Amino acid sequence: MPQTPPVVDIVQASQAAITAILNKIETVVLGKPNECRLALACLLAQGHLLIEDLPGMGKTTLAHVLATTLGLTYQRTQFTNDLLPADIVGFSIFDQKTNRFELHKGPIFNQVVLADEINRASPKTQSALLEAMAEQQVSIDGITHELPRPFFVIATQNPLFHAGTYPLPESQLDRFMMRLSLGFPDIKAEKQILLTSSQRTNQKTADNQAAVVSQDELIAMQDAVSQISVSNDVLEYIIALSHVSRRAYSSHTSQVNNSGETAAIISCKPLSPRASKALLQAAKAMAFIDNRDYILPDDVQAVFYVVCQHRLEMQANQQLDPSQQESTSVARQILNSVDVLNPLGY
Amino acid sequence: MMLFNKKKKLVSQNTSGNVNGKTMSNFYLSRQNSWLLCLCQCLNIAVVALELSTWMLIIIALSLAWQALLLQQNRATANTSRGKHPGTVQSNLASKRHSHGPSKQLATNISPVVLGIFALLGCVAIALTAKQVGILLSMVHLLCFSYALKGFELRTRRDFYQLLLLGLFILASALIFRQDLVFSLIILSLLIINLTVLLQFFSSENAFATNLKVVVVLLGQSALLAVVLFLVFPRLSPFWQVPFAKSAKTGLSDTVKPGDIANLTRSTKLAFRADFGGQKIPNYAQLYWRAMVLENYDGRQWRRQNKVTQNKADGSGTKSLIFDASNTEVLPLTYQVFVEASFQKYLFALAPAVVTGNASGITAQTDYTIQSSTIISQAKSYRLTSYLTAPLALELSPQSRQINLSYPQGSNPRLEQLALQLQHNYVDVQARAQAVLTLINQQNYSYTLQPPLLVNNSLDQFFFDSQAGFCVHYASAFTFLMRASGIPARLVTGYLGGEYNGVTNEVNSAGKIVNKGHLSIYQYDAHAWSEIWVAGKGWLRIDPTGAVDPQRVNIGWSNQLLQEQAELNNTFFNLYRMKNIAWLNTLRLQFDALDYQWTRWVIGFTSQQQYDLLKHWFGKMVPWKLALIIAVTLVLSMLMLMLLLHWLNRPKVKKQAFAQWQIIYHKAIDRLAKQGMEKPLAMTVNDFAKKIRQQYPELALVFTQLSASYNRLCYQTLSISEQEKQTVTMQQQYHHFIQVLKNSDKKHL
Repeated sequence: MPQTPPVVDIVQASQAAITAILNKIETVVLGKPNECRLALACLLAQGHLLIEDLPGMGKTTLAHVLATTLGLTYQRTQFTNDLLPADIVGFSIFDQKTNRFELHKGPIFNQVVLADEINRASPKTQSALLEAMAEQQVSIDGITHELPRPFFVIATQNPLFHAGTYPLPESQLDRFMMRLSLGFPDIKAEKQILLTSSQRTNQKTADNQAAVVSQDELIAMQDAVSQISVSNDVLEYIIALSHVSRRAYSSHTSQVNNSGETAAIISCKPLSPRASKALLQAAKAMAFIDNRDYILPDDVQAVFYVVCQHRLEMQANQQLDPSQQESTSVARQILNSVDVLNPLGY
Repeated sequence: MMLFNKKKKLVSQNTSGNVNGKTMSNFYLSRQNSWLLCLCQCLNIAVVALELSTWMLIIIALSLAWQALLLQQNRATANTSRGKHPGTVQSNLASKRHSHGPSKQLATNISPVVLGIFALLGCVAIALTAKQVGILLSMVHLLCFSYALKGFELRTRRDFYQLLLLGLFILASALIFRQDLVFSLIILSLLIINLTVLLQFFSSENAFATNLKVVVVLLGQSALLAVVLFLVFPRLSPFWQVPFAKSAKTGLSDTVKPGDIANLTRSTKLAFRADFGGQKIPNYAQLYWRAMVLENYDGRQWRRQNKVTQNKADGSGTKSLIFDASNTEVLPLTYQVFVEASFQKYLFALAPAVVTGNASGITAQTDYTIQSSTIISQAKSYRLTSYLTAPLALELSPQSRQINLSYPQGSNPRLEQLALQLQHNYVDVQARAQAVLTLINQQNYSYTLQPPLLVNNSLDQFFFDSQAGFCVHYASAFTFLMRASGIPARLVTGYLGGEYNGVTNEVNSAGKIVNKGHLSIYQYDAHAWSEIWVAGKGWLRIDPTGAVDPQRVNIGWSNQLLQEQAELNNTFFNLYRMKNIAWLNTLRLQFDALDYQWTRWVIGFTSQQQYDLLKHWFGKMVPWKLALIIAVTLVLSMLMLMLLLHWLNRPKVKKQAFAQWQIIYHKAIDRLAKQGMEKPLAMTVNDFAKKIRQQYPELALVFTQLSASYNRLCYQTLSISEQEKQTVTMQQQYHHFIQVLKNSDKKHL
């Protein structure tokens, strides 16, 4: 294997591109710089993104602009309750000319797959995405097809209390590295949105925008992200966070409320090692975006809510009740109970 | 502007806490600490001030005032220089050589040469006066002098240590002069203050009160060790013996002229205490504490017979003349006497007495006094057995008789004439003495603390003209009359009576009062009386004072005398008031009891007592055993100390698991927490720095740097050398941070 340049160099070399990407995204998704960064981080960390929000909050816009800015092939699929798995992955069809079955690739063979309103589809269809997301491959008629690289699923969903929605199964939720919600824009941003929307036909402006980075550059960045160094302290911090969730879970399930610490945390599901992995990966991407070749606890904290909240919630997807605040969430409580300087509490 | 000034200081501090890890050469003491130190110096000097000569006190006062003035000036210059060069830290770095930290450092603007010359002159002056004041006092002078001057040259940390050490030494030396309870408590509190000043230097972030508490706790913890060492550590002479202080002390002197003791009675100082160990204490009128026998009379004053001639007079076998307890059938009375330092050799006893117990250097004399072979320079105790009614010296040697009959012929012609008359009228010796007493009693004699002055100490003038006097007047005149009429007589001085302090009395299970009290004999109990020698009865005690003021002899001071004394002393807490206000008197007695215990158990714990105690614990003492005990105690106490330290460090062992940068950062955030800026557990280092930036703009720069260093050290993979470098930088940043914090504190105050 050829010697790759040190991570530091890649990190620094990529900064211009990162800034450019972010700038471009932010001109489309107005007033949400933090969410834009997180979405980019998710992509750099090779994770899939779930955007959950009310209709008309700019979910699709974000997904779209991400794809175009990064110069990736992109297809949007509107999920409905009669959508079949074959509609997503594709199917073989008998070609009478060649007398053979021809493969019709579904939308999943794009680099960026936008699964719009994913929770409107039936569980069967939803789970069709599962293999694709986890293994980066699909099987059609027993033949396994590799998916392109980079492969990135952006799903949007409506809050569960909306009519005609099927909750995503936990296993499926777990495949999404992050769950974002955009939230209402502030007054200034909304004013801007209203002004610009009159000047453009919403999607097309984004479409016309040229890619900022090439695919190769993006892949290089993704590789660099996974090489970001992690100190022992940060690892312990991540472990401590997931341990708190596990302790809270076990004390909840066994109905023993002995220690004050866990009692303070409301019931939650335990974080799986996959969650920890996702957390670490996302934090690495945040560090990368921040022009660092090492992770700080700040990075972990920045992504903790979006990475873990949907894995922690007891009743899946009951979120997006507007009264639910980030500051009172389970994720926040877990964060607050761990000492950053001394995570495992020596 | 304020901030800039802080930075400047910081930089000088920063560069001095150098990178190479050597000790700091540049010394910095904050303003508050400088003032504290100055105050501390004043207090330390104050405890020995009574012993110092006036010129020395003036010099010391001047130099301390000068130091205070310099401190004040520095403040002014610090204020005016504020904001002259608003610049970056870097530019200040360049100018750091010129910017000493303000406060005590500017004290160096007295040139060392001047200081040296001044010190030399002072030393010469001390050396010149050494002969007058004695070696010990001149050493104390030297100590105080150097202590006062050292304040001028606080340049390095070492100077600071030296200054504090000198201060502690002064405190210790002050105990040479006084050891009573109150004084010891004062010394203890000063010790605490001195140590707090030291601690203040190291952790100036703490409030004075906090440090004070720490010092008190530490001293409390070390008290146990002190007690053990006090009990078993050998009191080696001469190291562990207080040197003699040649200082004027109240007390009896070995020459007495009429009027002398009256002055002594103004003093309410303690002379000695006697503990009868629960036995019945003899009547007041029997408590004639014999101190000295004065046999030589030169017409003006009474003098002790010097020992050589006395021995010659008593014949060679002096031993045989010492009171022999085996021959008497009188009931013995055993008691313990605790004397205060008198800087004399005489001791006190109810004659005749023999020394019991092993008190080295204390012997009974042929004149029935008890004497110490060395000057009593510190509190001392000894045990005596007295046979109160036993006769003294049934035989009188011719020489002795001659001495006790001699008087300068013609010195007091009228008394001599009276004596001849008496000799003629009364053949019986005792009747003759009684006649004089009757004469004194019936004529218009008065007993007063303010006797009229006598020309040439003429006894004639007293006896026939003024007829007012104190015990010495009466005893002198009486003794003179006796001698002139042919009866061997001598003057005895000592103390009469004593105050019984029954505060410590206990009631036992049977409901009876257990007598645990003691007698306190004060200087105002000083007395003089006469002894005449009667064949077959030996020396008889005759107290002519009893003839003029019976109350003095039987009960104690009359109110009239107390009043007189109060007038003479003119102090608020005079004896008259004390004795007539019940609660005040109770308080006084309580305190006396406490002081007695202190004297008895702490000051009176001499090498002899120590020896006895060890013997009591470990059986008969032999040198190797003693050495073994000391060695074992030392080793054990050291072991205990080590264990204690180990135990105390137990939580710190955990802390050792933390890297150095973690410790530094924790220290920093602890400091901020004290300021009310607590770092939430879950807040990251960067977020906290941001918060600090918002709330303490003056800390922003330095704390952000510190935080960045922490993040690098903690989370970045660094090579060892990079790590070390970054740690050093972080340490400097920490010092810098502390400085800024302190300064901003001051500003907020």
